Amino acid sequence: MPHKILLVEDDRFLRELMSQKIVKMGEDLVVAVDGEEGVKKTKEEKPEIVLLDLMLPGIDGFGVLSQIKADPETAEIPVIILSNLGQKEDIDRALKLGAADFLVKAHFTPQEIIDKIEQYLK
Amino acid sequence: MALEEEKKETSPGEATYRETENDLRQARSALLNILDDTEMARRIAVEEKNKTLAIIQNFSDAILVFDENNILELANPLAEEYLDEKKENLVGKRVDEFLALPKTKMLMQLLEVSEGSPIKQLFRKEFMASPNFYLEVTSVMLIIDSKLKGTLLVLHDITREKNIEKMKTEFVSISAHQLRTPLSAIKWTLRMVLDQDIGAITPEQKDILEKSYLSNERMINLVNDLLNVTRIEEGRFLSKPEPVQIEELIQSVVDNMQEEAKKRKISLSFTKAGRSLLPIVKLDKEKMKLTLDNLVTNALKYNNNGKNGRVEVFVKENSEKELQVEIKDNGLGIPEGQQSRIFTKFFRGENVVRMEVDGSGLGLYTAKNVVEAHGGKIWFESEEGKGTTFYLTLPIPQS
Repeated sequence: MPHKILLVEDDRFLRELMSQKIVKMGEDLVVAVDGEEGVKKTKEEKPEIVLLDLMLPGIDGFGVLSQIKADPETAEIPVIILSNLGQKEDIDRALKLGAADFLVKAHFTPQEIIDKIEQYLK
Repeated sequence: MALEEEKKETSPGEATYRETENDLRQARSALLNILDDTEMARRIAVEEKNKTLAIIQNFSDAILVFDENNILELANPLAEEYLDEKKENLVGKRVDEFLALPKTKMLMQLLEVSEGSPIKQLFRKEFMASPNFYLEVTSVMLIIDSKLKGTLLVLHDITREKNIEKMKTEFVSISAHQLRTPLSAIKWTLRMVLDQDIGAITPEQKDILEKSYLSNERMINLVNDLLNVTRIEEGRFLSKPEPVQIEELIQSVVDNMQEEAKKRKISLSFTKAGRSLLPIVKLDKEKMKLTLDNLVTNALKYNNNGKNGRVEVFVKENSEKELQVEIKDNGLGIPEGQQSRIFTKFFRGENVVRMEVDGSGLGLYTAKNVVEAHGGKIWFESEEGKGTTFYLTLPIPQS
């Protein structure tokens, strides 16, 4: 039974790479290219997990995260931040808003990101 | 006048009279000469004084002069401007009275002013006088003929420098963040190709791509170092110090490095003086870990290629006031001529550059800033070919 994963990422190439990896793992993938779409798709698609970038056009990742957590329908969905921000303030802020984990893109390989996702799917 | 009177009274004989008159004339002209010289000297002195005053008045820094009793004698127009207070409200007041003025209070606290105590000697200490207005404060004792004649306080506007520094820091910080995105893309692509997610590759292809992957990892580390450096300069590098049992922190750093040490065939040990636990210190754990990491990594990296390589980490209570950590290696050492530049940004020893050991030249710069931000000190002893010992101290909070 594939798991439904939402990937919110504005950079096209990174989105393609990650998508490819997730699909290859046999999971069901939904993508969003900006913050607004991210919030909308979380609500409509009810993914089992959200992979969320922070620097997004329009509503940024912090905004998306707080909207997901504020909505009782989506509040329980684990959100993993996948961003190239990664200073202590950013991490603290995201965790405070309810993020399940914080991964700095440049520090993780696609496989390591998948492994992290699977920890939260079990 | 006195001369005229004398002239009338003395006239005993013509010859004597002439002689006396002559003497008197000479005396008079000598006296007049002296008076002339004095007048000239006075005029020069007044002129000098006016010139000095004019220099002070028109000086491009704020100048305040306190007398030996710490009473303000002189304040130039820029001093009025920087302190945002009229001269009449400043001159004649004793230094501790400025503590009561809201506009000068912070400056006085910086100078550790209190009733009856001398003004603290400062050299180019930065100080934010108001939002986006930065001054550099220097105070010097005016000593003339080994006697204290007062204190000179100089305030120099460094707002422009500060703003440029901020812009530079922001620029580097933004660039570093922006650089990470394409670097991630390269990392992910290479990894996926290497993991054969995209299809099978030949051993030759794998080999060359592994090397590209490592180059890219170096680039990522370099960007991380840059980010750390800019953050030190922004002054917000230390986030909330927390109580830390230092031996636990060191132990975890050393444990993490054991594998690397084994790979390099170097023995890495950690010892602590005494049996009881060391006093708790307050540290920004993440940054101190990074610092110790840097120092131990350096000790491992700059070794003598394996023969009896040893790195020893040691911690002790130096006094009631501080802990001392030592990281000792028997590796390459730092060339004597370059020792003074070791903590400078982007500096790398010539001997290690020749060996092509990678590094950014930012590790020790970061370490120094972190240790000093904690109120500690860092220094080293080194001999080329014999090894290096780094020392750092951390203050123990006094209750």
